[in-house]
Amino acid sequence: MAAKNNIEISIENLNLDYHIRRKKKEAGPTSLHALDDINLSVREGEFLSVVGPSGCGKSTLLYILAGLQKKTSGIVKVGDTEITGPSLHTGIIMQAYALFPWRTIKKNVEFGLEVKGLPKAERSKIADEYIELVGLKEFSDRYPYELSGGMKQRIAIARALAYDPDVLLMDEPFAAVDEQTRSLLHEELLRIWEKTNKTIVFVTHSIEEAIFLSDRVAVMTPSPGKIREIIDIDLDRPRDGSIKSSEEFSRYRRHVWQLLQTIGDSTVETFDEKGRFVLDAQPQEVAI
Amino acid sequence: MEDKQINKGANLLYKAFKKSIVIIALLVIWLIIPKYVNNLFVPSLFDVLKTGAELAISGKLWINTITSLRIAFIGLIISTVIAVPLGVILGWFKTVEEYIDPTFQIIRNTSILAILPIFLLIFGVGDTSKYAIIIWATLPITLLNTVQGVKNADPVLIQSARSMGIGNFGLFTKVIIPSAMPFILAGFRLSASISLIVLVGAEMLGARYGLGFLIYNSMHAYMIPEMYVGILMLAIIGIALNAVLVRTENYLTRWQEKVVQS
Ligand SMILES: Nc1ncnc2c1ncn2[C@@H]1O[C@H](COP(=O)(O)OP(=O)(O)OP(=O)(O)O)[C@@H](O)[C@H]1O
Ligand SMILES: [Mg+2]
Repeated sequence: MAAKNNIEISIENLNLDYHIRRKKKEAGPTSLHALDDINLSVREGEFLSVVGPSGCGKSTLLYILAGLQKKTSGIVKVGDTEITGPSLHTGIIMQAYALFPWRTIKKNVEFGLEVKGLPKAERSKIADEYIELVGLKEFSDRYPYELSGGMKQRIAIARALAYDPDVLLMDEPFAAVDEQTRSLLHEELLRIWEKTNKTIVFVTHSIEEAIFLSDRVAVMTPSPGKIREIIDIDLDRPRDGSIKSSEEFSRYRRHVWQLLQTIGDSTVETFDEKGRFVLDAQPQEVAI
Repeated sequence: MEDKQINKGANLLYKAFKKSIVIIALLVIWLIIPKYVNNLFVPSLFDVLKTGAELAISGKLWINTITSLRIAFIGLIISTVIAVPLGVILGWFKTVEEYIDPTFQIIRNTSILAILPIFLLIFGVGDTSKYAIIIWATLPITLLNTVQGVKNADPVLIQSARSMGIGNFGLFTKVIIPSAMPFILAGFRLSASISLIVLVGAEMLGARYGLGFLIYNSMHAYMIPEMYVGILMLAIIGIALNAVLVRTENYLTRWQEKVVQS
């Protein structure tokens, strides 16, 4: 595997306060401390997952990395440059697929390339390539409403990959797809990741998903979000679904689950003994 | 396979039948009844069509029709060209809209026919007053619809486009305006029919050509069949225009999931 020594993303003492707009007479704080003194480095070509209870600031963290949200204090760098706004070095796949409904699948994938100013023929070629990569070639000329949730997700991934960012930020990309599709998408994502050698920061609610995909898993505390612990996942690659039933895998799962459980009283009942989220559980949540 | 095609053909025929049968019945009534019931003000459809043919041959029908269509079309285009960009700006800068919205609400909710005389007094009976009236009547509609459409743009899509490094201009052309398009088109269609209505009104009050003029003038001269020719022509234009615009709208918004199949 490629050298994973260089630091791609470095976050030092990051804080973020959201401003809360209130009516004049309304009582309560006017700001919300969403991220509290975050320190985190992600290496080049690394796959890092972030898990944590709902509302702990995972999406916020990704938005800051994508340059879509201004930080309150701290230093956040991608490569050697401090983030000041959106850049073509980072691509984000948002919690909602955010496909442009008026564009066909192919035109959606071409979007970033258009922004980059690539000529038409080249755009078309690259788009075809990535649509093929996520296995949706025959849907090129369809509109997003004609696709299922899982397909839209794949197109969102293809779109982010197409303009070739070094860093891919993914916000619960597989939350809305069924368990089987999700397994397929996991393997597809790992395949693409290994092939393209991107740095990936992956936010998820599923402990199992985080462990299966990642080199490291960062566990966050409830709001205001802090990094509680970063766990190295030393499972051999390439990985396939069978490792989920291995002894090592369950050890990691238990570890992450315990971390999340002991974070504070309020989250105790958020997880069950298998490491499933209960409060936010969706029917297709982790089950072995 | 063949069965299916026959079925499809039968279905289409049935649909056409359902849609046209009442209209055909009414036209037949209009053709027959006035022939037997003596009535000065409702000539038979037959007489109307005969007069229509005469007017078509003499050119009187066309000059009036074309005058009306030309003015309505140009007025509508001017109004749209002003309203859409303005609406995009107003929709984006919400505070500006707050200042202007009440004014446009007043304009929109004041009967346009009531203020027609003002326009004729100021701009005279020529084309200028007609353009002014059409712009006055349709600009607020297209404008408010555009504003609505811009406000309706999904913030997630805006964020998503921003994340790919899009500039402000690109954001407008590639995200904001396509988002607002269904609203703009709906506003345009409404504006088109309203432009015809106010134009006819204005032509009745003061004009030298136009279908409104033809209708009103014929009424005063007791040329009743001619009056009906003008009315019929307007009906045909209205229906054709709507059909074309609905089709265009459907095509341009084909990316939207149709909740109700037509
Ligand atoms: N634009 C905003 N303005 C004010 N507060 C916000 C804003 N966005 C998020 N927050 C608050 O910041 C906190 C973190 O939100 P964030 O969306 O980052 O959580 P999350 O970890 O992604 O949650 P989930 O797992 O449910 O997606 C929450 O308490 C939320 O209410
Ligand atoms: Mg989130």
